[in-house]
Amino acid sequence: MRGRSADYERLLRTLLDRNVEFLVVGGVSAVLQGAPIPTIDLDIVHERSSPNAARLLAALLDLDACYREHLPGKILRPTERDLLGPGHHLLMTTAGPLDVLGTIGAKRDHADLFPHSETVTVAGSLCVRVLDLPTLIRVKEESGREKDAQGLTILRHVLEERERRGK
Amino acid sequence: MSPEESPRAGRLAPETRPDALPTHAADGTDLTLIRWMLSLDHKERFQVLQSGARSLALLLDARPQR
Repeated sequence: MRGRSADYERLLRTLLDRNVEFLVVGGVSAVLQGAPIPTIDLDIVHERSSPNAARLLAALLDLDACYREHLPGKILRPTERDLLGPGHHLLMTTAGPLDVLGTIGAKRDHADLFPHSETVTVAGSLCVRVLDLPTLIRVKEESGREKDAQGLTILRHVLEERERRGK
Repeated sequence: MSPEESPRAGRLAPETRPDALPTHAADGTDLTLIRWMLSLDHKERFQVLQSGARSLALLLDARPQR
């Protein structure tokens, strides 16, 4: 049965168990950077080499992932070829919603974003790479989506508060 | 009692203490929540994230069926 809410730990562990190269972006990265915002899915940007796409596909099979836009009528699963492209894959899994993103913002891919990420420990020995706060803000600005406007305001205040504390 | 004094503690209310930080930004953002989140470590923030998702699922399950 597909999850009603996100089990972030299981999603992340499954990806890490399959040695998938990815960065956590979006709302989960915002919360981990200190933003008090609600989020219901996990957004990741994956490294789009063929070996990594194969590992990601194996993780997605473990999670019984399929495209949300075709549910409940049709079960359509991503292919390895799909995962090599820059597009967005909006999936439902047994551990909740998972968005697999080839690029974000101004067509930024894993290689562009990796230098602007940091490793954080989120549970036990579970360590993930998370987009840093200034880059998260920049990417949301580049997206120019209305739905990001309120989140952007909060993220800017988080950055200001962190800088104030750093002084 | 002066209106600047806290009625409960008899001390100056937090927002009127000379060293107090504002509770809200000009745009209405609650800065106390941001300061609270920043006081947590990554594991604690992850717990907040996970419990928020579970709470949302409970609320969705509690919705009257149409």
